[in-house]
Amino acid sequence: MTGFVARRLATALLQLVGLALVVFFAIRLLPADPVARLVGQNASREAYLASQHALGLDRPVLTQFGAYLGALPGASGLLQGDFGTSWVTGEPVAKEIGRALPVTLELITISFVLAFILSVPLGMLCALKPGGAADNATFGYSLFAGSQPEFWWGLLFIYFFFAIMGWAPAPLGRLDPLSTAPPAVTGLITIDSLLAGNMAAFSDGLHHLMLPVLTKVFVLSGPIVKMVRQNMVRVLGSDYVLFARASGLPPGRIARMALKNALAPALTLLGVLYGYILGGAVLIETVFSLPGIGSYAVRSVLAFDYPAIQAVVLVIAAVSLFVYLALDIVHALLDPRLAS
Amino acid sequence: MPAEPLLSVRGLSVGFHGAIAVDAVDLDVMPGEILGLTGDSGAGKSTLGLALLGLTRPPGKLLGGHVTLEGEDLLALPEDELRKRRGSRIGLIVQNPRGALSPLHTVGGQIGGVLRAHLPLGRKGAWQRAVELLRGLGLNDPARRAEAYPHEISGGMAQRVLIAMALGAGPRLLVADEPTSGLDVTIQAQFLDELARAARAAQSAVLLMTQDLGIIANYCDRVAVMQQGRVLAPMSVRDFFAAPPDEYSRTLLSLRREAPPAPPAQETPLLVAKDLSKRFTLRGSGKVLQAVDRVELTLHRGETLGLVGESGSGKTTVGRCLLRLVEPSGGSIEFEGQDLVTLKPAELRRLRKRVQIVFQDPFDALDPRWTAAEILGEALEKRDPARIAELLALVDLPATTAAQHPRSLSAGAQQRLSIARAIAAEPMLIVLDEPTSALTPLARVGIVRLLRRLQEKLGTAYLFISHDLNTVEQLSHRVAVMYLGQIVEQGSRVQIFEAPRHPYARALLAAHLAPDPARRRIDRAPEAALAGEIPSPVDLPRGCYLAGRCPQAQEACRTTPQRLIALPDGRALRCAPEAARAMNTEPTLIAGGVLT
Repeated sequence: MTGFVARRLATALLQLVGLALVVFFAIRLLPADPVARLVGQNASREAYLASQHALGLDRPVLTQFGAYLGALPGASGLLQGDFGTSWVTGEPVAKEIGRALPVTLELITISFVLAFILSVPLGMLCALKPGGAADNATFGYSLFAGSQPEFWWGLLFIYFFFAIMGWAPAPLGRLDPLSTAPPAVTGLITIDSLLAGNMAAFSDGLHHLMLPVLTKVFVLSGPIVKMVRQNMVRVLGSDYVLFARASGLPPGRIARMALKNALAPALTLLGVLYGYILGGAVLIETVFSLPGIGSYAVRSVLAFDYPAIQAVVLVIAAVSLFVYLALDIVHALLDPRLAS
Repeated sequence: MPAEPLLSVRGLSVGFHGAIAVDAVDLDVMPGEILGLTGDSGAGKSTLGLALLGLTRPPGKLLGGHVTLEGEDLLALPEDELRKRRGSRIGLIVQNPRGALSPLHTVGGQIGGVLRAHLPLGRKGAWQRAVELLRGLGLNDPARRAEAYPHEISGGMAQRVLIAMALGAGPRLLVADEPTSGLDVTIQAQFLDELARAARAAQSAVLLMTQDLGIIANYCDRVAVMQQGRVLAPMSVRDFFAAPPDEYSRTLLSLRREAPPAPPAQETPLLVAKDLSKRFTLRGSGKVLQAVDRVELTLHRGETLGLVGESGSGKTTVGRCLLRLVEPSGGSIEFEGQDLVTLKPAELRRLRKRVQIVFQDPFDALDPRWTAAEILGEALEKRDPARIAELLALVDLPATTAAQHPRSLSAGAQQRLSIARAIAAEPMLIVLDEPTSALTPLARVGIVRLLRRLQEKLGTAYLFISHDLNTVEQLSHRVAVMYLGQIVEQGSRVQIFEAPRHPYARALLAAHLAPDPARRRIDRAPEAALAGEIPSPVDLPRGCYLAGRCPQAQEACRTTPQRLIALPDGRALRCAPEAARAMNTEPTLIAGGVLT
């Protein structure tokens, strides 16, 4: 098991190094001029050159890469854990990502867990009677939910739950402007407010999560139910379930055995889904004005903020790889065939 | 006065979407007997077996009938009561044992789960009982085995786990559905011995469903035939083999009554392999697997050499090395005076016409997008419709087959097409790699007859590779027995089948279940069996490879590698002590291969 984890960690590290390389050179191949973007079209030639020098863009590309990695003397870079400073805000990129990432992680992790909790029993129900009423209803639902983009569902939910019913707060960020945010420890509002004992912020935070999470769960549940159903149908049709019945095992025990066999392979797919959702987080963040990593990434790209772009790509990749790895470890713990 | 039947089935029917799979079956099983149920694939045996427990595979439905076990109609019971009877009063063993175990749970836990469902046992008590059951079934180190997952144990061991699950709660009736399909010969015999013993010890009756008439002859008291969902009245095994009641069984047994093929009049060597070796380097560990170890073979023109051995003995690799489909690591293969091993690719290609191969699974060996005519045409110099029709006629396929794709043919017809393709180039030698193993017994009879007739007509030599000793006996003039990559004994069919000398060959032949009730294995005293399991071909012993398992091993056997020794009676033997014994005493023929 230790060997398995060590091997996977080493591969993940290699992937990150490769990614850092590709991103660094790929954005420099773009026909874009970040300096012009910063100083404006009408700036004087001196101002342009001064700005270019300040950003270090007048140096050869390889020197720039050395500085980015932190291999040059006197400057810190990736090797020292330094993502550099944003060209737009002048703040350290790490600090900015530290603010944006938890917002997104909080949203999609809660959505994922809720979607999973809802989908597993639903998928089992469908699998018990393929073609039955529950199965058909679920099929119809996932077709319905998956046929529209999630920002569209988000807008519909806002219209209905905020504008008409008034149950949800205005889709303007993570907290009400009037409530005081708890001091940032983890960056996750729910946890930080609990740590600070600030119950008002906690319930306000949850309230503001209500619609984004609803949107996510609504869209995510379709594929997860389908996955659970498919695996469960396969397991229920297997020889070992038939043999368990022939051995006179009680239905409850057979169900538990089947569930373990059906869920283990589903975990890997969840990991893939998580990485995919993380990459597309910008849509839901935009709809609900959440200052998450997706919005940050888009803002950085539009501003040609090279250090921020490089850091965001690496961080999102690292999170995805970490989730993959964690789910693979759980999978290996459930399935002894993988660990050996 | 016959006793009350233990199980009495009346009018039992099972349907699949309107098609009747089990049709109004009546059947009685007497207490303590082993009743065989045989019949072709698709006759409905497995469906009947499940229906006895009130189960069907979806979308099958029980259409009606009574299954009365010890005076109680199981099918009239409510589901929960019926569930309690399954496993405790009537147990089931299925084929594909590893598929019947959950891959994510330990085997001990799975046996324990069944025990706890029927007996007042705690988790710990059930585990201990499971370990005892495994010990009783002859597994060494049962405590460790119980903690294994299904993928970590062999097929034979998994099958014993199923027995433990089926018999653990002491049912009076055991339904065993093809319990040994996919097992090696020696493991199969051991398993059936244990099954019969365990059933006898628990005073259970067994309904043994199998296509293998050898198993029926050797283990059953009575036998019933199933065809197209109906069961014919059971009869005693002796009467059955004396006069089979139905066409199916008559066809299967007909081959045995015919004289085996006569060897060619003259022995002209066609292919001589010397010191043939093949080593594979394992990925990761870098260890070397010795798949074929200094094999010596001589094939004469027009003769069939049977190559037998259990899985992993290297017989398939030998066959592929002879065609250089697998490059040999060493040795020479002389074919019609040329050394195949040193042949250049262009010459090799020309020579491939003279040596052909037929594979085990015909469907995998035929291009699914081509018609039969295209498949045969490819093997010919030019696509001549007359020649294609002639080839189809040679293998008894109707001329209309030419336009068909492999998937619309039965497995037997696919294999005939494979054979037609092999003979298209008029080869001198065909390597037949388990050509009958993927077929039903009935199709197997057809292929054996076809191969015999083609050899008579065309004079082709065969290297017939198989683990099925019955088929080997029906086809071969000479037989070579392989164990762990080596040939341990080689001789005429009569020598090997009637008086094998090498201890491994003796054990293999003793486990051979001939469809003949004259010398039933179940009535014989157990013979000196080989101990333990086949060692890994990666860490081979220094001396004789069998020394660790051989009941007659001497100290010298463990340290001295054994050579293949030619005996005066024409056989070759890789066992120095046995060879010395053979030189001193005149070899005597003893039926069945009992130790001399």
